[in-house]
Amino acid sequence: MIRLHNVHKRFSGEVAALGGVTLEVEKGEFVFVTGPSGAGKTTLLRLLLRQQRPSEGNIFVAGRNVGALPDRKIPELRRSMGVVFQDFKLIARKNALENVAYVLNVAGHSRAEQRRRAYNALRSVGLNHRLNVYPRALSGGEQQRVAIARAIVCEPDILLADEPTGNLDPDLAVETMRLFREINARGTTVVVATHDRDLIRRMQRRTIILDGGRVVDVDRTG
Amino acid sequence: MNRLVQHWLFFVTDAWDEMRHSPAVNLLAAATLTASLFVAGLAVLVITNVGRHVDQLQSEIRIDVFLRDDAAAEAIAELQSQLKVTPGVERVLHVSKDEALSRYHEWSREMAQLIGELDDNPLPASLEVYLRSDQDTEAIGVSIADSFGAHVAVDDLRFDRDWIARLESMLRVARLAGIVLVGVVLAAVVFVVSSVLRLAVYARRDEIEIMQLVGATPAFVRGPFLVAGSWFGLGGGVMALLVVEIVRQFVLSYSTRASLPLLRLFCAQPVSSGWVLGLVLLGLVVGVAGSWFAARHRF
Repeated sequence: MIRLHNVHKRFSGEVAALGGVTLEVEKGEFVFVTGPSGAGKTTLLRLLLRQQRPSEGNIFVAGRNVGALPDRKIPELRRSMGVVFQDFKLIARKNALENVAYVLNVAGHSRAEQRRRAYNALRSVGLNHRLNVYPRALSGGEQQRVAIARAIVCEPDILLADEPTGNLDPDLAVETMRLFREINARGTTVVVATHDRDLIRRMQRRTIILDGGRVVDVDRTG
Repeated sequence: MNRLVQHWLFFVTDAWDEMRHSPAVNLLAAATLTASLFVAGLAVLVITNVGRHVDQLQSEIRIDVFLRDDAAAEAIAELQSQLKVTPGVERVLHVSKDEALSRYHEWSREMAQLIGELDDNPLPASLEVYLRSDQDTEAIGVSIADSFGAHVAVDDLRFDRDWIARLESMLRVARLAGIVLVGVVLAAVVFVVSSVLRLAVYARRDEIEIMQLVGATPAFVRGPFLVAGSWFGLGGGVMALLVVEIVRQFVLSYSTRASLPLLRLFCAQPVSSGWVLGLVLLGLVVGVAGSWFAARHRF
């Protein structure tokens, strides 16, 4: 489903965020990407989402060569993925329900369908009582759960999550992982970038360890 | 529901929603558009009013052909019909001796008494030859003077060549100034409006980034901006025209109070309905195009 071959990413001043990463994620797999801060986890997710282009190497997502994708095809690529961002990236002037419904709107679902599915997604993350609340009035954990609901509402082919439990208490972190397992069980490929070692240990899934922009180990526990 | 209709409904509700949440930026954009279109409206008001006077001056360019007192009616009729078909002639008006005297009475009541004391009416009959304003009036005047100056019915022919040349050059300058003024104002309107709309788009850069990251196409992200731009443009155009009319009424009343009739030269008539439509459409076009370019700059 996801294939990276000798991927480099250098920023101005020749700072290498990734240096020759080669890895593969099978369809329907649940994978953790871990490593210390600055290891390249977020850069890797950004490349998959075509927020950035690789400086070198090839990235294939569901058969698409992401680096060579023309600009007009990027929205389609992104609609095939659900993403939980580290900083949530919620639209400040839209309430929780509207934030989740927005991706359904973008995908062309009817208004009634948007509301029904957005409500169900928010219920699944335990926020059905906070539908009309705006992001600024939600706690960090609640904002993260809205972001998760938005990522899963379209039942995407791939779910990317960047530190999805960073702002959650342990119980909610476990609950979030249960949601990810559920959506993974329905066939969605899940890639979670995290440095939460306990979480990784509990989940028992394949883990790709990055350090200094390189894959230094792959733990095949899962 | 048709997907296109659903998208447009979303653009409208989203544009309205955005305005409610960021009133300051949107108020700034609307006020700038109104102010810019007000300047454009004011320029149109002045140019069209001055233009009317210019047209009036131009329609009065004429040659006076004074007729001999003993000229036969047939000769005068023949002269009049020849003048009528001369290229560049708009119309020919026959002014009889009595009519000339009555005009003189009207023009100068005191001096007219002197003429009244004479036995005969000393004023000659004449043909007033009005020239077409879209032609080279100076050349036509010279040609008529050459062709008809020696006609049997003609006593004298008055064609103030210098005055016509001066008037023509003045009108050329006035027209050129009008075109330059309209051009400068339009360019300023487009520049100011697109800058402010770009600012409005910039204020929403985070939101735009999020929309793109969740898979919205550029057209989908741009839609609400275009709707808001059309509202700013239409609303700004209507508001600007209302303010222009209020200012016009104020200047008219001030010119009467302060005995400054020259001021009326610039605003005696309101902006014509054609220009009203034109300015509102200009607002719409500038609002939509400005938003499109501003949004395009960020995607």
